[in-house]
Amino acid sequence: MQRTKPLIRQMLLASTLAVVSWSGVAQAMNAPGVFRSEFLKGNLGWEDVTARAREEGSVNFYYWGGSDIINLWVDQVATPALAAEGVRLNPVRITATKDTVDVVIAELAAGRGEEQGSVDLVWVNGENFYSLKQQNALWGAFANRLPNSVNFEWDENDPRSLLNLRDFGVKTGFQEMPWSGEQYVCSVNRAHVSAENTPATFAQLKTYLEANPGKFTYVKPPHYLGNTFVQSVLYAHNPDGTGAEPYQKSFEELGSVELARLMEPGIEYLKSIEPLLLGGASGKPRYPENSGELDNLFLNSEVHFNCKFGVFGNHNGLITGAYPEQAEEMIFPAGNMIKNKNYLAVPLNSPHPAAALVAINYFSSVEAQATKLKTAGMPVGLDLWRLSEEEAAEIATSAPPHYGVTQQQLDDNIAPDTNASLVDVIEATWLAVIERKEDKPLADIVAQVSGELNN
Amino acid sequence: MPKALSAHSNISASPAFMQNLRDIAEITPLLVVLLGLFGGAVVLGILQSFGYAPWFGINEFPTTQYFERLWFSSDFWVSLGLTLYYGFAATLIGLVISVPLSIALSKKFKSSRLFGALTRLPLMVPYTVGIALALVMLGNGGLFSRISAGLGLIDDPSQFVRVLKSHWGYGIIAVYVWKQVPFMTLTLSAVLARKGEDTVEAAMVLGASSRQIFWRVTLPQIMPGIVSASLICFAFNIGAFEAPLILGGGYPDTLPVLAWRYFQDANYAFQLQGMAVVVSLALVSGVFLGAYLLGYRRWERARGRV
Amino acid sequence: MTGQTSKPRDLKAISPWQRLLVLTMATFTIAPFAPLIIQSLAFRWAWPNILPTVWWHEQRERSPFPLAWDYVFSPSSRVGEATINTLGIGIAVTLLCLLICLPAARVLAQRNFHGKSQLEFLIALPLLLPEAAIGIALLMIFIALGLAGTYAGVIVVHLIPTIPYMVRMLTAVYQGHGTEAEDHARILGANRSQIFFRVTLPMILPGVIAGCLFTFLVSTNLFLLTFFIGQGHIITLPTLLFAKISGGALDATGAGIALIASIPGIILLIFTDRFIRNYPLAE
Repeated sequence: MQRTKPLIRQMLLASTLAVVSWSGVAQAMNAPGVFRSEFLKGNLGWEDVTARAREEGSVNFYYWGGSDIINLWVDQVATPALAAEGVRLNPVRITATKDTVDVVIAELAAGRGEEQGSVDLVWVNGENFYSLKQQNALWGAFANRLPNSVNFEWDENDPRSLLNLRDFGVKTGFQEMPWSGEQYVCSVNRAHVSAENTPATFAQLKTYLEANPGKFTYVKPPHYLGNTFVQSVLYAHNPDGTGAEPYQKSFEELGSVELARLMEPGIEYLKSIEPLLLGGASGKPRYPENSGELDNLFLNSEVHFNCKFGVFGNHNGLITGAYPEQAEEMIFPAGNMIKNKNYLAVPLNSPHPAAALVAINYFSSVEAQATKLKTAGMPVGLDLWRLSEEEAAEIATSAPPHYGVTQQQLDDNIAPDTNASLVDVIEATWLAVIERKEDKPLADIVAQVSGELNN
Repeated sequence: MPKALSAHSNISASPAFMQNLRDIAEITPLLVVLLGLFGGAVVLGILQSFGYAPWFGINEFPTTQYFERLWFSSDFWVSLGLTLYYGFAATLIGLVISVPLSIALSKKFKSSRLFGALTRLPLMVPYTVGIALALVMLGNGGLFSRISAGLGLIDDPSQFVRVLKSHWGYGIIAVYVWKQVPFMTLTLSAVLARKGEDTVEAAMVLGASSRQIFWRVTLPQIMPGIVSASLICFAFNIGAFEAPLILGGGYPDTLPVLAWRYFQDANYAFQLQGMAVVVSLALVSGVFLGAYLLGYRRWERARGRV
Repeated sequence: MTGQTSKPRDLKAISPWQRLLVLTMATFTIAPFAPLIIQSLAFRWAWPNILPTVWWHEQRERSPFPLAWDYVFSPSSRVGEATINTLGIGIAVTLLCLLICLPAARVLAQRNFHGKSQLEFLIALPLLLPEAAIGIALLMIFIALGLAGTYAGVIVVHLIPTIPYMVRMLTAVYQGHGTEAEDHARILGANRSQIFFRVTLPMILPGVIAGCLFTFLVSTNLFLLTFFIGQGHIITLPTLLFAKISGGALDATGAGIALIASIPGIILLIFTDRFIRNYPLAE
C-alpha cells in the first residue's frame, strides 16, 4: 500500500513524458547503447525500465540446466511470474557457464556490440565473472539501482556486505546481483560410516581411507567443485596456519614464489591420498567429471562421501532419489567449509537489457527467493537482516531440513573462497602435478603455469 | 548433300548441347553444397591450423608452431594412439561379427524377418542411446556388477572390472560395435543378395567344403562391401566424440575430445591449436584409409591375375 | 572332413552355429533395453540391488515435484521441443537433400564424363573425414556467417553426412532402370515434366523412398554436428540425451529420455524395414 502512491505518480509522470516526447525519445532510446548509458547515469526511473522491458518482450536467461528441480522452478514459478510483468523468460539450459562466457566474448570479438548479442542474463560467479570483467564484457553497475536491491547489504563498512561486493575476491562493482549463497558441504553414507568414524579433518579422512581404501574421490578440477575441494585442502594445510587469509590476495600481490610455498603442503597431501582414492589402487584414481557422476558413485556405495556445493544438497539428493537412503550431512573440513555467493550478470551486448534488469529484480524479490529455496532447495542470496520480520519468517519457513547437522554448525565452520586470479593458477597446478604428473619443484610449476596463463 | 549434312548435324548437335547443359545444371547444386560447405571447411581448417584467423586478430600465416607444439608433446601421440586403438578395435570386432552374421541372416529360418529386424535396431537409434545403455549395464555400479554381486563373485563395486572410464575403452568399443554391426551387416547382406547363390552352388557341386566356400567364394564376393563398410565405420570411430568423452578414461583424451576441449577455451590461440589437432586427425585418417584402399586395389588386381 | 563335403546340403539351411550367432546378436542388441526401462521407472536404484528399492510410483504421491516419467512428460524436460526439432529438422534435411541429389544422381547414373570417378570420390569423402574435424571447421565459418545456433545452420550441416548416402541410393536406382522407358515416352511425344512424373518417378519411387528414409534416419540420429553447430540453442533428442548423460550417470529421467529418443527409430524399423533393407548403403 505504501508503495502504490509514488508508483502512480511516477506512472503519471512517465506517461506524460512519454506523450510529450514520444517519437523523439523512442527513437533516441532505440539507438544501441543509449538505454544503457542513460540508465547507468541515473536518468531513467524504474518505470522507464519496465516500459522498455515490455517493449523488448523477452529475456534470454542462460543457466546451468543440470538440475531437474531448478529447471522446474524456472519453468513453473519464475516464467509465469515474469510473464505477469510482461516479460517472456526464455531459459537456455547450459552444461557449463564457461561456454556462455566464451560465446559473449566471441560475439564481442566478432563486432557484435551493444544490444547485438544473444545472452541477456547469465548465472555466474568466480572465474567466469572474472573473465567477463577482464574482457570488459559486462553491462554496467546496475545492482544497487534495482528496487529490490534494498534486500541486500551494500554498506562497505559492514563486514557482512563482503559477499555482495566481492566475488572470489574480485570486486563485483555492482555489475552482478547476488542470487544464491552456497556452501561446500559433504554428505556421508551412514550405511557404511558410523558417527565416530566420520572424519572432520583431512588427516582423519586419510586415516579413514587407509582403513577403507578407494572410498573417497573429488570432482576433477577445473570443474569448480574440484577447485573448491583443492582450495579447502590448501587452506587447511597452510604452513603459516593462517588458513584462507593469504588466499584472499590477488596473484600479483602474492607472487608465484610465495604462492608455491603456501601450496606445497596441500599439494603434497593431495598427492599422498591419490592411491587411497577411488580406483587409486590400480594406479589411476578416478576423478568424476561433475557432480552428477559423483552422486551416482555415492548412491552405488562406490564412495562413502559426496562433497559439493549445496547447503541443501543432501535434502535435494534424498527427495530426488539421487542419494542413498542413509545420507547425512557432516562437518568437514572443520572450519574450512567454503561459502560464497553466485550471481546474475548482464553481458555488455545483451539484446534485451531492460528485460534483463526486470528479471533480475524479480529474482531478487523475497517471493522469488522463498519459492526457489522451497521448491529448488537453493539457499537465498539476499541478506536476512535487511528484511522485515514477516519476510524473514517467510524465508525461514521455506527452508528445507538439514540431516545430522544444524544450520548453526554449518555457519560456524565457514571459510571464504579463493581470489579468482589464484583459482586459475591453482587449477593449472593441479592439472600439472596430479593429472600430468609433472615431476618438477612446485615453485617451477607454479611459475610456469602462471606464465602460460598470462600469455 | 553438304547442305543436307550440315542441317542434319545442326539438328542433332543442338539437343546434345542442351543435354550437356542440362546435365551440368542438374549436378551443380550438389557441387555447390559439397565444395562450398565441405570444401570450405577443409580449406579454412587447414588455413587456421597454420595460423590464419584474422577474425580473432591472429594472422601468423604461415606458421607451423601449432603443429610443432602438438607433435612434440608426448601426450599427443598417446591421444593419437588411443584414438586409433578404439577405431581399429571396434571396426575389427564389428567385421568379425557382421560377416558371419550377414551370411547367417541370408539363410532361411523361422522368424528370420523378425531376427533380421531385431539385429538392425541399433542402426535406427542415436549413439547417445547406446551410451546410455552402456552406462546402465557396464559401470562398476551397473547391472553386470550387481549380478556379479548377486552371484557372490564380488562384494564391493570396486572389485568389478573397470569397463567404463578406463583407457582400455571396453565401453567405447562395445557401444561402437553395438551400433555398427547392423550397418555392416546390412551393407554385406545387400551385396550377398545381389551376388546370388549361383557361385556358391557351383562350388558345392564341385565338392568344396564350407570353409573353402567361405574363404574362396563368399568372402571375395563380399569384399567390396567389407572394405566400404569398414572404411566408413573406422572414419566415424576416430572422429566421434560423445562416447570417448562420456565413457573414456579421461586424460589423455582421444583427439576429437582434445580438439573440443581446446576449442572450448576462451583463449583463441587454443582454438587454432584445436584446429591443428583436427587437421592432424584428418591427415592420419587419410593416410590410413588411403593405405587401406591401395592395399585393397592391389589385392583385387592380384586376384584378377590369378 | 571329406565325408561331410560329399553329403548333399541344403544351400539355404541355417547351421546350428549360425542360429546361435543370430540369437546371441539379437540378445546383445535388445537385452540392454530391459534395465533402461527399469531405470526409467525407478526412484532409488542403488548397487547391489537387481531391482529398485523404491519405485517411481511408490514415491509419486509423496513427491512435491514431478519424478521420472512425470518429469519427462512435463514441459520442463524439453522432450516435446526436442522431438519436434528432431522430426522437423529431419524432414527439412530429407527434402533439401532429395532436391539436391535427385538430379545429380540421374546424371551420375546415365552419363559418362571426364572426372566422373573423382567426383564420386568427392561425394563419398564426407563419410571418410572425421566428423569432429568437419564440425569444428564449419563452426568457425558458421559463427562468422551468423548461422551458428540457428535452424538453417543445423539443417545445412546435416546435408554433409546425408548426401553421400542419398546419392548412392538414388544412383543405384537410376542405374537399375536405364533410360529406355523415358526414350519411348519422348518418342511418343511426352514433354519433360510428363516424362518425369508419369514415367521416371513411378519407376524410381521405391528407391527414392528408401533414400529419404535413410537420410531422415541419419539426420535424426546425428549428434556431433547438431551439438557443435546448434551451440546448445537447437535441442534435438540426441543432444538432449547427451546433456543428461554427459556426466556419466543415468537417472530415471535420463533413461526416460533415452527411451523416447529410440522411438522414432523403432517406428521406422517396424514400418519401413522392407524399404531400407534391400538397398546398398555403401560400396
